[in-house]
Order: sequence, then structure tokens, then C-alpha cells
Amino acid sequence: MTSKKANLAEQDFDSAHLINKLRELNKLKENSEQRQDSLARRLRAGDRTAASELVDIYYKQIYLFMRRLGHDRQVSEDLTQESFLNAWHHIGQLRDGKSLNGWLYRIAGNVSKLYWRKHKGRKTADLEGFDVPDSTNAQYDKVERNEQLEQLKNAVTRLPVKLRQTIVLHYIQQLTIAESADAAGVREGTFKSRLNRALNALRKQVT
Amino acid sequence: MGKEELKELLNKLPDVTTEPVPQRLGEDIKRQIPHRLSPHRVGMDTINIIIDLRINKLAAAAAIIITIVFCATFLGGRDSAGGNVLQDSMLLIKYWGAPDTSDISAGRARYEHLLGRGEDVVWYGDRLDPKDSGAVLMQRTLPDGKYEVMFVDGREKQVTAEELIQLLTRMLQKKTK
Repeated sequence: MTSKKANLAEQDFDSAHLINKLRELNKLKENSEQRQDSLARRLRAGDRTAASELVDIYYKQIYLFMRRLGHDRQVSEDLTQESFLNAWHHIGQLRDGKSLNGWLYRIAGNVSKLYWRKHKGRKTADLEGFDVPDSTNAQYDKVERNEQLEQLKNAVTRLPVKLRQTIVLHYIQQLTIAESADAAGVREGTFKSRLNRALNALRKQVT
Repeated sequence: MGKEELKELLNKLPDVTTEPVPQRLGEDIKRQIPHRLSPHRVGMDTINIIIDLRINKLAAAAAIIITIVFCATFLGGRDSAGGNVLQDSMLLIKYWGAPDTSDISAGRARYEHLLGRGEDVVWYGDRLDPKDSGAVLMQRTLPDGKYEVMFVDGREKQVTAEELIQLLTRMLQKKTK
């Protein structure tokens, strides 16, 4: 009887703890949305400090996005700068805080696309260029996992540009489906269909 | 490989496809932030109008004057003699002369304009020798009893009645020679 009560009390505590955690997360999310809304509003008003904040938040993400799309280090730096330059000229297209990610990634994606169009013969820099965490002292399953990751990276590199961009936006840059679709300049349905095709292609190549 | 397993693996890619980002990159980008950020929406509903006019100074000055006169006319501007500013400006343009307009035709236009305004003007353009730069094209009676004469070469001069008679006599003599 006592142990039953103790169990119930423990369950109550777990539920309360979980609810508190959810509330905290919601609050964090709300704060983040408010911050993004405020940033978007200030950008639209032509505030240079907001532009500086935007650079601080996004320049690393955009640089890595370029690298993950297959550009080498130097080109990625140049394209990141070009993306921001384009962003300053298209601030009027920014609707609100929610669309901030989609807006900036769409600009960066277009900059990358234009680069590939201009340099058709240029080879993509493989994702292999990135260092995989050292696995010499890891356990066997970790080594196997790393081999799979290696295979997956190679498979992503071999995907056609559009499918590769889909994987990079959603899984690697970790944008939501809506943001990724916005960034790719397609409807959510089209994006999901591309994502599905990309996943099927990858499944065949990774064992 | 199963779809879920693949998704799980894909979620690990951000960690294994990362590298240090050059710190100076952020600073470089910040240096390129324009002093005036443009809040104008640029999209399908926007057009950019860029006009690159390359005209000579005289044409530019004429365009500016015409614009001012045009605006003044629409604002109801009238000149000191009560005439319409636009008409006067048209006359001015004619008077300055386009490359194919002679001084005589410009003078004629001015004569017609003054006549239309009820001024006391006499036209001699039909009877003179165009090669004679001192020939009087027309005369206009001024309120103080003097005369304003316009010559073939475009010059203008205020003269007395006696001086006008001398000018006309000389012109007549030249023509009969």
C-alpha cells in the first residue's frame, strides 16, 4: 500500500516535472520568436545594429551551408559575403520574424545556384572535406556508425543538386519543413516530395 | 537501411559536417553593411527606373528651363506683360533656335506672338535682304514712345523715332542698289 502510494507520488512528481519542462520550453520558444520578430522589424526599419546582430547570428550557419552545398572554403567565404550583401538589398522582402530563416537561406541558396550556373565545369567540394570525429579509441559499434556516416556523407555528395539542397536544408541546417520549403522557393508539398525522393536515393546507397 | 535509421543517421550529419568558421568573416560582412538599409520591397511588383541621360550642357539647361516654365504655367504663372509663361517659353525656344530654324522664322514667331498680345508691331521680314545683318526685321512701339527693333542677326536695340527712320532708310537704300 505504502509502496503503491510512493509510486503514485513519484508519477505525479514526474508529470509535474514534465509539465514544468514543457512550460519552460514554450517560454523559450516564445522568447526566441519575439526576438526574431523584433529583429525582423528593426531590419525592415533600416536599423544597422539589427543588421550587425543578424550577421552575428547567421554568418557561421550560412558559411557552413555553402560548404555543405559543395563549395570550397574560399568560395564559401565569398558566397557568404555575397549572400549578406544581397540580403541588405532585399530587406523589403522580409515579412516577419518567422520568415527570417527562410528569407536568408533562400537568398543564400540563390547565390549558390548562380555560382554553379556561372561555373558549370567546376567540381563540387565533397562533404568528405570535413573531419570525421576520431574513432580509433571508440567501441566497435561506434566505428561501424562512423563508417555509415562516411557512406552517408558520400551519398549526399552524389545526390543531384536539388535533392542535395533538400537534405542539407532540413537535416543538416535543421530548418523546419516550412522554412526549408521557403528557402528552396517551393511549396511544402513539393519540398516533402523531393525529401522523400532524396531519402529513397540515400537508403539505396547506405548499408 | 530502414527509413527511421537513415533519418537518425542524417540527424548526426550536422556534427560531422562542421569546421571552424573564420572569425574575420563576420567582421568583413559587418563592414559591408550599407549606411542606409533600403526598406523598399523589391519583387515582382516593383520596377527599377534608372535614367542615364548624356546630353550637352545647353540642352540640359534648356530642359531645366522648360520644366520650370511648364510647372510655373500649371501653377498659373503669368509674365509681367500678362502673357502666358508657356507661350513665352515656346517663343523663347523658337527664338534660341533649333539647328534648322533661321533667325527670321524665329523673329516671325515672336512678331506673331506680340501681335497676338495686342502689341503695336511692324514686320519687315518679307522685304529685307537676309544677308544684311543690319536689316531691321521688326519694330515694336514701347509705352515711352521709343521703339524696340530686332535685327536679322537676332540683335535687339531700343531706338528713338529718328534713329528708326535712319535704320529703315539705310535698309531701303541698300535694297535699291
